[in-house]
Amino acid sequence: MRNAVLVPEALVVAAAVLILLSGRFSWLSAGSRRRLPAVAAGVAIVAFGLELWVGATLSTYFGGALIQDRFALFAKAAVLLAAALAIASADWTTEDSTPIGVAMPLLAAFGVMVAASAGDLVALWAGLELAAAAGVVMVSLRRPDLALRSLIAGGLASALVLMGIAYLYATTGNQDIAAIRAVLLGSGPSVALAIPIVLLLSGLAMRASLAPFQLAGLPAGLGASPLGAGLVVGLIAAGAAVVAIKLAAALLPIPAVYSPYLEVLAAVAMVGGGAAALAVRAPRNRLAYLAAGQVGWLVAGLVTHYRTGVGASLFLLGAFVVAATCGPAVLGRAEGGEAAIAGLGALRPARAAALALAMLSLAGAPPLAGAFGELAVAAALAQSGHFALLALGALGWIMGIAAALSTLRTIYLQSPLEEGHRGAASALPVLTRLSSLGALALCFVIVAYGLFGSPIMGLADQGAEALGLR
Amino acid sequence: MILSAILAASPSPTPVSVPGAGIFSSPLLLSLTIWVPVVVAAALSVMPNPRGRYDVLIKQIAFFTNLGLLFVLFVAYNQFQSFVPTMQYEEKVPWLAAIGVTYHLGVDGPGMVMLILSGLIGIASVLASLGIRERVRSYFALLLLVQATVNGAIVAHDMFVLVLFWGAAAIPLALLVFGWGGPRSQVAGWRLVGYWGLGSAALAVGAMTLYAATGATSFDMDVVLKATLSPRLQMAVGLLMIVAAATRLPLFPLHGWMRDVCAEAPVGVSVVVTGAASRLGAFLLLRTLIAAEPVAAHLLGPLLAALAALTVGYGAVAALRTVDIRQVSAYLAMIPGGITVLGLAALSPLGIAGSVLSLFAGGLAAALIVGVCATISERAQSRSLLVLGGLAPRMPNLAWLLIAAALAILGVPILATFPAELMTFFGAFKTQPIGAFTVALGLAVGAVALAALLHRVLFGPPNPDAPGVSDSSLGETWYLALLAGGLLWVGLFPGGPIIPGTDTPLFDPGMVNVMAAGISDMASPYTGPSAQ
Repeated sequence: MRNAVLVPEALVVAAAVLILLSGRFSWLSAGSRRRLPAVAAGVAIVAFGLELWVGATLSTYFGGALIQDRFALFAKAAVLLAAALAIASADWTTEDSTPIGVAMPLLAAFGVMVAASAGDLVALWAGLELAAAAGVVMVSLRRPDLALRSLIAGGLASALVLMGIAYLYATTGNQDIAAIRAVLLGSGPSVALAIPIVLLLSGLAMRASLAPFQLAGLPAGLGASPLGAGLVVGLIAAGAAVVAIKLAAALLPIPAVYSPYLEVLAAVAMVGGGAAALAVRAPRNRLAYLAAGQVGWLVAGLVTHYRTGVGASLFLLGAFVVAATCGPAVLGRAEGGEAAIAGLGALRPARAAALALAMLSLAGAPPLAGAFGELAVAAALAQSGHFALLALGALGWIMGIAAALSTLRTIYLQSPLEEGHRGAASALPVLTRLSSLGALALCFVIVAYGLFGSPIMGLADQGAEALGLR
Repeated sequence: MILSAILAASPSPTPVSVPGAGIFSSPLLLSLTIWVPVVVAAALSVMPNPRGRYDVLIKQIAFFTNLGLLFVLFVAYNQFQSFVPTMQYEEKVPWLAAIGVTYHLGVDGPGMVMLILSGLIGIASVLASLGIRERVRSYFALLLLVQATVNGAIVAHDMFVLVLFWGAAAIPLALLVFGWGGPRSQVAGWRLVGYWGLGSAALAVGAMTLYAATGATSFDMDVVLKATLSPRLQMAVGLLMIVAAATRLPLFPLHGWMRDVCAEAPVGVSVVVTGAASRLGAFLLLRTLIAAEPVAAHLLGPLLAALAALTVGYGAVAALRTVDIRQVSAYLAMIPGGITVLGLAALSPLGIAGSVLSLFAGGLAAALIVGVCATISERAQSRSLLVLGGLAPRMPNLAWLLIAAALAILGVPILATFPAELMTFFGAFKTQPIGAFTVALGLAVGAVALAALLHRVLFGPPNPDAPGVSDSSLGETWYLALLAGGLLWVGLFPGGPIIPGTDTPLFDPGMVNVMAAGISDMASPYTGPSAQ
């Protein structure tokens, strides 16, 4: 039973590799290739079920490099569900390559899973890099220029993270996360420690496309295929958030070295994300900025140093990764601006509902998944006395809701484009049984996440406790 | 899980000693008022309606859903145990245990009054919307969602749940304004989103502050609103609650959405906004400031009185200077809200009781004036007071209803606003004399504005160049008569009709009796010598 805990990881990575190989060596007929998304979504769902079933077993592997605890269980389950829903709900006629398009979300999910159960700094870094690499591949399929830009920016982010990790190792003499925390318990905050932490957090902010580090990641994500955009905006940002949560827990004895910087990052992301979402009109850009705003809330939860705050961030992470990964995927081709989705509610009701709910959830509109998470973070902010951050978050929240309403108005209240005026960039998503089912499942998850959220929040709370927070 | 938990929850201690007890008793009563509209709205939104074939059926479903809810609420109202200062029909299920959120619903007297108001307004808004021809399915689904969120905000007894419903109300309402409003509906919709968003944010921050100040263990109102807080904290929370309430009621200077929304939204939406959704502002003040933070209430009482006076005065003067009949009605509809807040500012049992009755009466009066003016503008094909004139002979039904609405705003005897205003002013003249005098002055200006409106629209010289005019349709007459009838009924029988020669209520326990449950508890901090 102990080794069964690793079955979800094995399943996901094996499926991804097999799918890539099948594409490379043309093992599959065209008909079989069309079934790949359903197979991949099925594998991810089976892995999700297995994770929930066997993931409760607490154990360590590879000499402590991987740890299975409640935090890992929560984060892994969240990314597996997000990957499954994104693959299922995507419009595969808009993707550039079915085998690669199917395999990369699985690999990105695997990367985040490794980061979630990482016991040391190297595993943490490796997991994040794997997820980010999958994003670069997705971008390169459509826009090699943006992929290069993304690669360079990713390299910079990776360098910052590595430098931070190296300094942290040099300062504490350990690369094991639990040991670092134990060492820091006996030491006070110092400039020598603050500098690497700032570098580390800047690298993570770059990975999560947070302002002011969004310059490379966001345009690259927006230039990718729908699923690629979901990968960059959702899964990779979630990977960065997972790393940030684990590091924040390790650095908990000396919050002074990271808390002020995180406060600034959170405030800029919450307000900037809302304002930018309100300023843009194209639905995919709006989704991306709303997602960036919600990552700001996620970061704000880490500022609190409380278990409730980190637990709330973790709870929000689940809502975020599902909505941010699947939102661009259900949006489909609609790259021609707001007009492309005008009247989508009448033409593609299931996809329209999924898109609307994903957008509202990212904006934090009640009573959807994101709202429960953001309110939980808000409660933790109030508890820890961060009222200024709470007020700024509320400001960003208002702007985000207004932005989401604007898109809802287009989806449901405007007349659709005439077919003659509908260019390739505004083509309607192709209806398939799998994508409709995926969209409906996404709707269910976003609505049910908060309404039936007690066990989920309980698990998130246990996840925060597993990181050593009290 | 929540539903199953609710189903498994034991029934609330439904009163047995009042007439009607036992006819209807359900542990799900308050949940029904929220989730039945949600379920029907969801069903409507997926119901096939090719080329509007089932438009009539959709309207009938919305109507009978509201009728059923009103019936249930009326039976609950009859079974309600008057003069008992506890929550009734309570439902309490742990929800997000990790942060202390419970699905806790309950009503006291003021809550029951608000629920009945919401039920009446719900029926009226559906009847007022029978003329909707475009995207009927979406319209009525959104209208039902609005009603669900309003009911949810009324019965919520957990601050987290309250924030959820309070914030959620703006979304369907804004979509209704965007999608079915007049030429300036986009401006109106954005203003609504902006102001209500600000209010929701203020409420959320206030709720979180209360949660943190009381140990961060529970959002239950029994915990966060009954804790003793420092005066400074009470003031902070009180100010946040005033901002939240002022954006919703609305109160001057946070009233910017009112004119545009009432003037541009479809009639049914204007009715539900002014009649029920906006009353939540005063209800919030009553629940979270007056009943919970006595020190802040004392300190902020003059501010509330000043806001009430400014609201009434501004509404009256603006109504006098406006030539668009729908905008005039919007300004006039601000007056009852100001009077309600004056009663709260009084901080006396009589003033608070007047405020609670004013919630009901003011809601009906505001909805009536907005509804009748919107109907007149539609039937006369013009909104300009420069065009409308001498309409009384040509639209007698609407003429009578406009007169009734004007009298209701002023609070003349036999209408429900009369006892409400009487109690409010009697309660306020002692503790807030300047505020009460200024509100009375504003009301006098309002009377002039109303007289000018009636004179110009109904009794002035007819305009030969005006477009054709017709009287209200059956549906319009019914919904307006329902609002006027509600005002008349409570005005005539505020204590309910009794069996002759006895003290036994005939079938209606009486609004003042029902609302008394809880008021004594809320007013208890203000009955001591310090309040005198």
